[in-house]
Amino acid sequence: MVIIPATSGQMGVLPGHMASIAELKPGLLSVHEGNSVSKYFVSSGFAFIHANSVTDIIAVEAVPIDRIDPSLVQQGLAEFNQKLNTASTDLEKAEAQIGITLHTALNLALTG
Amino acid sequence: MASNVAVPFWRSAGMTYITYSNICANMVRNCLKEPYRSEALTREKVHFSVSKWKDGKPEKPVIRSDTPED
Repeated sequence: MVIIPATSGQMGVLPGHMASIAELKPGLLSVHEGNSVSKYFVSSGFAFIHANSVTDIIAVEAVPIDRIDPSLVQQGLAEFNQKLNTASTDLEKAEAQIGITLHTALNLALTG
Repeated sequence: MASNVAVPFWRSAGMTYITYSNICANMVRNCLKEPYRSEALTREKVHFSVSKWKDGKPEKPVIRSDTPED
């Protein structure tokens, strides 16, 4: 089973799942095989669930969570919270918001 | 039909999906441990040439590159 970070929430995909395309938000992707779990962080992207029970994950960056540095995540979160306060244009605000959402998701993936 | 689904905040701020996705990827790369971080940041390097066309002919190309010119 794979649990994917769909924009609509964590979504479980088992063999036999209906064919579907899901948009992914930055978050944890966990692959459960028997008793072992492999966890990855996906930056954003899509999941294609095919009728033959193959699921493709399309992401610009997908990293095993042990490659993430928790102190850099905390630093990033503080930086973007700061940027949100000083942002003036809609675009700057959106970028700061993306930063906050993404770093919060990274934190959650590391601690969850 | 899909009009009851809210537009994502980045779209309403004028950003396209590809820009959003690349920003997210860049932020993730910056949070990696070494040596993965330096490896990942090389994926952001670009090298391309753009030329505008006028009267059916290309004008002088503009080269955008992260690699130093030799």
